[in-house]
Amino acid sequence: MLSRVASHLYWLSRYLERAENMARILDVGHSLALLQGSDDERSAIEPLVITDSVAAFQANDRPATPDEVARFLAWHPEYPSSIVKCLEASRENARAVRGAITSEMWENINDTWLELHARRTAREPIGAAFFDWVKERSHLFRGITFATIRRDQPYLFIRLGTFIERADNTARILSVKQGDATARRASSGDMVTDYYRLSAVLRSVSSLEAYRDIYRDAIDSRRVAEMLIFDPSVPRSLRFCFDEVERILGELPQAPGKHPRRLAAHMLALLEHGELDDVNHVGLDAFLERFLRNNVRLGEAVNAAYMEVK
Amino acid sequence: MSAPSLQPLPPPDGILDEMLAEAGTARAHYERYAGWLASMSPEAMAGKRAEADLIFRRIGITFSVHGEDGDTERLIPSDVVPRIIPAAEWEVIERGLVQRVTAINRFLTDIYGGQEILRAGIVPEDQVLANDQYSVPMVGVRVPRDVHAHIVGVDIVRHRDGQYYVLEDNLRVPSGVSYMLSNRKMMMRLFPDLFGRYRVRPVEHYPALLLQTLRAATEVDDPTVVLLTPGRFNSAYFEHTFLAQQMGVELVEGQDLFVRDGCVHMRTTGGAQRVDVIYRRVDDQFLDPLTFRADSMLGVPGLMAAYRLGNVAICNAIGTGVADDKSIYPYVPEMIRFYLGEEPVLRNVPTWQCRRPDELSYVLEHLPELVVKEVHGAGGYGMLVGPASSRAEIAAFRERLLARPANYIAQPTLSLSTCPTFVEEGIAPRHIDLRPFVLVGRETRVVPGGLTRVALRRGSLVVNSSQGGGTKDTWVVDGD
Repeated sequence: MLSRVASHLYWLSRYLERAENMARILDVGHSLALLQGSDDERSAIEPLVITDSVAAFQANDRPATPDEVARFLAWHPEYPSSIVKCLEASRENARAVRGAITSEMWENINDTWLELHARRTAREPIGAAFFDWVKERSHLFRGITFATIRRDQPYLFIRLGTFIERADNTARILSVKQGDATARRASSGDMVTDYYRLSAVLRSVSSLEAYRDIYRDAIDSRRVAEMLIFDPSVPRSLRFCFDEVERILGELPQAPGKHPRRLAAHMLALLEHGELDDVNHVGLDAFLERFLRNNVRLGEAVNAAYMEVK
Repeated sequence: MSAPSLQPLPPPDGILDEMLAEAGTARAHYERYAGWLASMSPEAMAGKRAEADLIFRRIGITFSVHGEDGDTERLIPSDVVPRIIPAAEWEVIERGLVQRVTAINRFLTDIYGGQEILRAGIVPEDQVLANDQYSVPMVGVRVPRDVHAHIVGVDIVRHRDGQYYVLEDNLRVPSGVSYMLSNRKMMMRLFPDLFGRYRVRPVEHYPALLLQTLRAATEVDDPTVVLLTPGRFNSAYFEHTFLAQQMGVELVEGQDLFVRDGCVHMRTTGGAQRVDVIYRRVDDQFLDPLTFRADSMLGVPGLMAAYRLGNVAICNAIGTGVADDKSIYPYVPEMIRFYLGEEPVLRNVPTWQCRRPDELSYVLEHLPELVVKEVHGAGGYGMLVGPASSRAEIAAFRERLLARPANYIAQPTLSLSTCPTFVEEGIAPRHIDLRPFVLVGRETRVVPGGLTRVALRRGSLVVNSSQGGGTKDTWVVDGD
């Protein structure tokens, strides 16, 4: 397959996953703000912290209220990680390789784009309904992909983009919501706040039900981290994402892929054979920071191996 | 709202209609169609047309969904009344096309090689060698089988005398074949019963023939073929994706290819892969920034060097445009006599070359009845249609003509034949032309029929899709 086509497919799914994750992060921030009924600035800008967007938001010179933050991250027409910009990038990538995806996939992604514009024109409020819609469109695309595309390289690159992006997102959410400083602060607080904060983290990665099924106990911050890092059965955990990444890299052409395969195997080994004590030993922050850095390196290695042939 | 009657309306006086004879009755090859049409209700036919639009949106020109603000790409309307050509008539056309394209390929080999036709004085030397389209980097380059033009789309019209005339030989990157294939698919789906009444010669194998033709353009065994497109902003991008998909070859852009050690490679996820044949839908001057336009982002640096080494085949070859230039067109019948020793089967439209003083003075005297075209023009632009122009327009054009006479040719205004077409007022006569596609590989083949273009506005002679033209399915039918 052409390298350019692989690159378009990979980014088409990365951007779609990024839009979905942005919706998840905003959704949780939104519902927490309602619950707490406070204008606590720290929680208002949390979505910006998670997505590395604080500086870009401040350049915009708007008050840091939950509404302003949500509007910026959902609709900003120039900011590369806003939902509208991600969906646009996803569609542009799809359009460039329409011959490589099924017509159902294209129609779905194009419909999403058209409806997004209709919603924007109608000045729909940015709230739970909108976030649900973004998530649903992303789910729908994955379902259509699963059901219609031939199992070949295009499929593999689409999946690869999804899981590398998803791992990045889960690690970021964990780091901001569960990092050492946050955990310390929270532990002195009351149980009710703790419960909402933790269940919000789980909901943002669709894992609240999974937690209940696995632990059948009160929500505990250590277990939340354990599950989202190590559990092979939870579809948004780091372990799950890297099981997929390694399998996909194993099916792609072997000769150019040596470097990304080595990186992925190394990362997976830590997730597969590691446990929470190892994490606590270095500290959750440091662990996740290193994971995020390695994940970026993996993305670069995939790019160099398959998409930038010299 | 009641649909208009399906009774075909007669053509204006002095116009030949493909379906209706002078008495208003259907010609023999249209009789069965006329009978079938009479059995249809206007509502059913209108329903079929709506369905055709829908199908065309979905399977045909699926690139119409583009726009942020609606459709930026227009649908080219496809008419539901077929243009029918009897097999006997088609066989003459086919013979003429093969003859013509064979002679043109001989001409191209000659002018980039020994230049015998120039030395024999058949075609004036300066008209070839000083032509903008004459490609100096091609001089002395031998191409496999001496085929320069592999894919040719010849524009033909039928005059009121019943004869077919060649209007133009498109030798560069002719397009439209995807409409031919989509039209047939649509008609078979909408009117299966009609295909039971006629034995229509198939066209669906065109992509397979095209692939065979491309594979024959090189001496390499089992060659790797790619289709080179300018990209998704090109108006024919749909056709490029369609053909690449139908042939099962990679659709590449310039950035996907690179030249190393004198060979062309494409960048794939499995590493560099050698490319043997490039079916390019990119114009000459954009193919290689090192040889042609340096600002081209669409081409491949070093491609021309690899080509000259014989390490890659390019279809069509570079520099074919000199032979479809309107200043060379008048000489095609002479080429046929010179290279093949045969009389031309298909006629040229009589053409006055304004570069010649005596012909210019004739043209100046008869401007109101003539069509005057720019030598390098295309797409129906930059031309004067005398009978349809005001005195002021003619006077203005006369000035332009006098300033640069060598830039123009003139032809009589042809009365293009009409074909019944389903429009607002009912089944009404509209002017048509025909673009058959000729493929030159190990042998020269023509898919029966081709693309019929139709001017949808009443009385209009301009069939170009950029100016309100539509298309029709074209049937070559056996028997009468």
